[in-house]
Amino acid sequence: MSEIILGSKSVQLLIALILVSTFMILGSTRLYSCVRAFGIQSFLLACVAGIVAYSTGKNDLYIVAALTLVIKSAVIPYIFIYIIREIKVKREIELYVNISPSLIIGGVLVVISYYLIRSINIMSELSGFALSASMSLVSIGLFVMISRKKAIMQMLGILIMENGLFLGAISLTYGMPLLVELGIFFDVLIGVLIMGILIFRINKTFESIDTDMLKTLIG
Amino acid sequence: MIKQIAIVILQIFIIIALAPLLGGIIKKIKAFFQLRKGPGVFQPYYDIAKLLQKDSVVSQNVSWLFHAAPIISFAAVLTAGLLIPIFITEMPFGFAGDLIAVVYLFALARFFIALASLDAGSSFGGMGGSREMFVASLVEPALMLSIFAVALNVGSTNLSYISQTVSAMGLDALSPYQILAFAALFIIAIAETGRIPIDNPATHLELTMIHEAMILEYSGKQLAIVELGAMMKQLLVFSLLANIFFPWGIATGAGLAAIFIALLVYAVKIVILGATMAMVETSTAKWRLFRLPELLSVSLMLSFLAIVSFIIVKGG
Repeated sequence: MSEIILGSKSVQLLIALILVSTFMILGSTRLYSCVRAFGIQSFLLACVAGIVAYSTGKNDLYIVAALTLVIKSAVIPYIFIYIIREIKVKREIELYVNISPSLIIGGVLVVISYYLIRSINIMSELSGFALSASMSLVSIGLFVMISRKKAIMQMLGILIMENGLFLGAISLTYGMPLLVELGIFFDVLIGVLIMGILIFRINKTFESIDTDMLKTLIG
Repeated sequence: MIKQIAIVILQIFIIIALAPLLGGIIKKIKAFFQLRKGPGVFQPYYDIAKLLQKDSVVSQNVSWLFHAAPIISFAAVLTAGLLIPIFITEMPFGFAGDLIAVVYLFALARFFIALASLDAGSSFGGMGGSREMFVASLVEPALMLSIFAVALNVGSTNLSYISQTVSAMGLDALSPYQILAFAALFIIAIAETGRIPIDNPATHLELTMIHEAMILEYSGKQLAIVELGAMMKQLLVFSLLANIFFPWGIATGAGLAAIFIALLVYAVKIVILGATMAMVETSTAKWRLFRLPELLSVSLMLSFLAIVSFIIVKGG
């Protein structure tokens, strides 16, 4: 059963597009286009959840897909845009690692996660693609967190990691129990709100959301 | 035998005759998006006809290279045209070369135009030539990788074979690696045809031009040949995109009806690609030259992902 769903052409296409949207986040220098790419990624993830729900016939998963659609691809990007607009931050993201090297590092991370997944023996050839994509989303999210200076990008990085975990959960187990999923969504939403407030505070104290500045002492 | 000669002649005729029309159509669509009226779609034909009637003004300092370069690059592009399936998969010259030959025929054309731009010794020519080579050095690896992704999927680098196989596969061909390779090749097509994020075909502003700076010394008949060569290259890059990734509707045998339908489908595909290109051109601004590596490394990464996902899905 699992082979049929995750091996189906449409899910494979969606997962490939999710990878493309991740690279869009890595490859763009504007905050808005990063947020837009994250919205697209979450929308594609909701589509994957919808297809899995349709083919397994689990009604819980429809709710999960709908929640992903609403919270991750609409509400969270809106919160991001609200923060960017309110603190009037410069729209270019600043980087520790330039665009071209970070794209190459992203590609290397995809390959590494593929080999890691392959060495686990549960791999059936079809869900292997979904699983290694989820693994690479987690590692690329981590890379975004450590290579971008703006605090907003750290927030985005952790959300990419969360998306990766969601994809992994769906591809391995067809979603966790609804209660757990609901808990995670609530967690993510509250997390984003708290991080947003934290960014406002950082901006108020340091007059910048550049994480480099956090080291300076303020008397 | 006669049938094959007829196919070759028809293909050459289509490439030469339709290349200016494509340029005209793209200009018209761009004008539509910018709420202008724009020149008619046949304007490039008039331009070329007028240029052909004029004499060339040639600098006294140039060598034979300056005269030879337009003809060599025109011939190289036309030869590439014989290897790319336009309306039929069984091309008479299909045996003579594959995708890699096409890539290097384009590179040959570009190389000679760049040499000729240095020949006259004007400062703009050298600037254009060095910029063109800079872009070429970034485009070529990405082009090769995306082509290898397609070739891995089909199992051959022969263009006729690729488009025949993909067209026989139908919708099954729509796989992740195919999509990723298409996205990569689309970015490369923007670079190869000198369109807006990379180069602006509609300007003679010295700070931004690449292609125009290279051919600044040419005039009259030679300019007509260079321009026609560039238009043909544009049509061929679009055909490559259309007939490798979406070859449905292409004729597999030499029946008259099949060829007629294939020509219609081909025209529709090319116009859709041209319209997409015009939309991209209207909605983006020209990028700074030193930001181009970013765009082209996106393309490189996409084609790399295409190969990786092929290996993952097929469990290599």
